Amino acid sequence: MNMMTLTETSLGRALETIEAAEASIEHAWNFTQKFQGLKAVPAAIREARMLAVQFPEILRPAEQGDMFAGRICYGLVGFSPEPVGLGYYCRSDKIRDWLAEGKGSVEIRRKAKWILQYWDGKTTIQKARSAFESSTAEVLPSDNWMEEAGIAFPLYRMGGMVLDYEKLLRLGLDGMEDVAFLPDGFGDGCRMALNVLRSSIDYYASITEDAEIRSNLLAIRHDPPGTFRQAIQLFWLYALHSGTWNWGRLDDTLGPYLEADLASGIIDEDRALNLLCSLWRLMHAYNNMYNNRVIIGGMGRKNTAAADQFALLAIEATRLCKLNQPQLTLRFYEGQNPKLWDAAVTAIGEGCTFPMLYNDDVNVPAVAKAFNVPTEMAMNYMPYGCGEYVLSHYSSGTPNAIINLLKALNLTLQGGVDPESGRRYGEGPCLSELDSFDKVWDAYTDIVDKHVRAAAEAQKTIYTVTGNEAPFLFISMLTSDCLELRKGAFDGGIRYLGGTFETYGNNDTANSLHAINELVFKQEKLSLPQLVEALESNFEGHEDVQALCKAVSKYGNDEGTSDIMAQRVHDHVCNITRDQAKRVGLHNYLVVIINNWANTTLGMLTGASADGRKAGQPLANGNNPASGTDTNGITAFLNSLTRLDPCIHAGAVQNMKFSRSWFGPMRPKLEALLKTYFAQGGTQAMITVVSRDDLEAAIREPENWGHLMVRVGGFSIRFIDLDKNAQQEVLSRTLH
Amino acid sequence: MKASEQSSGTVFDIQRASLQDGPGIRTTVFLKGCPLRCKWCHNPESQRAEVETGSNGKVYGYTASVDKVMEAVEKDRAYFESSGGGLTLSGGEPTFQFEFCLELLKEAREREIHTALETCGQIARDRLISLIPLVDVFLFDYKATGCGEYQRLTRASGELIRENLEFLLQRGAKVIVRCPLIPQVNDTDQHLAAIRAFQQDPRIQSVELLPYHNIGQSKARDLGHAMDDFITPSATEKERWERLTGAILH
Repeated sequence: MNMMTLTETSLGRALETIEAAEASIEHAWNFTQKFQGLKAVPAAIREARMLAVQFPEILRPAEQGDMFAGRICYGLVGFSPEPVGLGYYCRSDKIRDWLAEGKGSVEIRRKAKWILQYWDGKTTIQKARSAFESSTAEVLPSDNWMEEAGIAFPLYRMGGMVLDYEKLLRLGLDGMEDVAFLPDGFGDGCRMALNVLRSSIDYYASITEDAEIRSNLLAIRHDPPGTFRQAIQLFWLYALHSGTWNWGRLDDTLGPYLEADLASGIIDEDRALNLLCSLWRLMHAYNNMYNNRVIIGGMGRKNTAAADQFALLAIEATRLCKLNQPQLTLRFYEGQNPKLWDAAVTAIGEGCTFPMLYNDDVNVPAVAKAFNVPTEMAMNYMPYGCGEYVLSHYSSGTPNAIINLLKALNLTLQGGVDPESGRRYGEGPCLSELDSFDKVWDAYTDIVDKHVRAAAEAQKTIYTVTGNEAPFLFISMLTSDCLELRKGAFDGGIRYLGGTFETYGNNDTANSLHAINELVFKQEKLSLPQLVEALESNFEGHEDVQALCKAVSKYGNDEGTSDIMAQRVHDHVCNITRDQAKRVGLHNYLVVIINNWANTTLGMLTGASADGRKAGQPLANGNNPASGTDTNGITAFLNSLTRLDPCIHAGAVQNMKFSRSWFGPMRPKLEALLKTYFAQGGTQAMITVVSRDDLEAAIREPENWGHLMVRVGGFSIRFIDLDKNAQQEVLSRTLH
Repeated sequence: MKASEQSSGTVFDIQRASLQDGPGIRTTVFLKGCPLRCKWCHNPESQRAEVETGSNGKVYGYTASVDKVMEAVEKDRAYFESSGGGLTLSGGEPTFQFEFCLELLKEAREREIHTALETCGQIARDRLISLIPLVDVFLFDYKATGCGEYQRLTRASGELIRENLEFLLQRGAKVIVRCPLIPQVNDTDQHLAAIRAFQQDPRIQSVELLPYHNIGQSKARDLGHAMDDFITPSATEKERWERLTGAILH
């Protein structure tokens, strides 16, 4: 998951036109006024009342072709767990920008200024930041990870919650009210929140011109859904109200409704597919390409046959819609219905990039160990966001800090002081004291450990503040054990309060440490000061040093020593992170090694590194080798991936690019390749089938495309080894 | 010959996850040295048996022991087993370093790794006989048809090559025939008809067409070899070959 894109699409076009801006600010003003008047009210009641201001105001009408009601556009001020901001939020950045443009009437501008003034210091994020212990704040001085160089940064959100939709659909709204309501503040809040949802149903029923949408809305106002379509409608509206962004195993949840409707002839397969495609388009419109996960397959489903039926339909919908969302994710295990795997590989081969593949035979035992839960519970693991895991409706695992490990290593070599900002990150030894690799390692781990500790403390503080602010009623009603304990999810209600820590540059760091060990200490080709001088000058005038650094073997080639260093870096950061949970009072606190654009953003703010990488270049993506450094073939790459222990983290992703030719007559070889990778311990695969764009990029930037294999005639070859004409020839063939 | 001399040879590449050099997922080991001098050779760095250095300082080839080669091959054993793949020896002509080639094949047999041998067929009969029990599938190149054509294009008469192919087929060896096709050089009606006849021969596993590509040119230049320019075939041309021969186009 990535903060960069979390918000903008959900805000929609709030400030694009004068009319829209005036309406948005009016709504924000109303929300703020209401909030101001609720100071002495219990948190659950306050939240429910604020939800009643927010909904149905932020809902948008169904659009042409929608088969369900449920579109949303968040306001400038509001309440959410993650889509726009954490808890009670105010998008002051947007409002300030709008004011600076000089637009709007005097009256509306006055309101906008008052909104800014009121929320200053009162948003949940600001409260969380100001609640950090001073020692934590000192180590994490900035929140601006996208623009300021630094080692670790906090993130503010309650991301990745996956709710118990099976319970919702089984009970219906009235049934939910029966189990949620007790005459306490929490129960009152739940009942009021459910009434907010009913008001939204009434709103949609009153504005829709589609009789079927209306009748299905009215059918679920009190009672459990009776059909597949009603089940989707209730799920989707509740989901939008919860502010969550990942949907869990919908096959197990919705499969029984699909199966029953098909069996009774209420719908046929074509109709079912249309319904699912409509849901897919609504998810796409909700729009967060880093979340929006739908899980199919895997161990521990209750309704396997019906779930398989849904899963196959879901793959078909993904093939038909050809959208980048939802992020369809297939969990699989030995003995699962093989039709799911076959359909998945076909979809991937068509260039869908979905479903992503998760190997339960490895992941379930790994999650049991990492999360310290029984195997049965581990079967509830759900990949969300960019690849983190939570235990569906039993655990939270929001990633609330990131670390740039390569920056930590570079600063280790620079005495703990960032040469760009002058900021001190540690009392590291000076260069002359680093006279053995062990000392370099110790200095690096000291600086990392210090930031890991602070990140864990920040995570716990963010939970505490958020839990005090609001119970997040829609989340808590479908999260164990909130109703039993009469507590909000983040205020002691959830069974496993956990957190995750996004680490970046893991494999660049491993390659760099390996190069330092080889060049400085083993082969003695360079002194450490010589290397650091070359790094500080971005290898300019030190091209010979860069060549030496690049020539040292790299992770991802199935070569012993470099992969061993990758394991060492991995084990260290995963273990020290896991060890923080008990200290700060979390059930679990685990590393996630995920992919998004943070590797690029952080890379831009990171100087040259000892692996030969120049300043500003991207860091490796997820768990992958650094771009273009895996040159020993796909089997070597896969063997390296399986070396990193999956039992000590909460998700690590591997991107793979395949050429289209694998999916034709060679498909048996592809299947053997993937199955062997998974049998050898592969956890996961995200497969891209190479496109023309990839080939064109390979021509422009051959240094990043060493792994791209193409078929020339009678043999396969690395694309970059072809001369220009041959590349053009392959390119033109791909067009056909 | 001493054991130590037998147990190492000159390799110019080890390519893992090779998909086109026999069944399944394979590791292809390229040995240096070749008795032929095909005008279009796509691996000119394989022609001479010794390690060479190009004009830009690039070194082609290195000495490797049987153990070292097998250590690299072993890394993908699981992929061989799941896909029906294994080790492919290629070149050059892998039998040009005959003892090394034989040692590698014996070692693979000992380790129960499937073997494929890509050969130009220019090999003494007694040597071929000794290879048969060690090779699971021969990838046998067939390059020209017609009086003097083999001699003109490859510097070998072609007689021994044709006889060896027939010999392997009579002995019941598994053979895949591979035919490089170069426009206006060897794509004669007579040659295409001969390929079609192979395609129809039930003793042959399959026939593969390898359309010309110019990847050898830059390597030949780097090594100071003279090489003519050839035409890269168009898609239409390749389709015509496929149609006329019934063979598989690569």
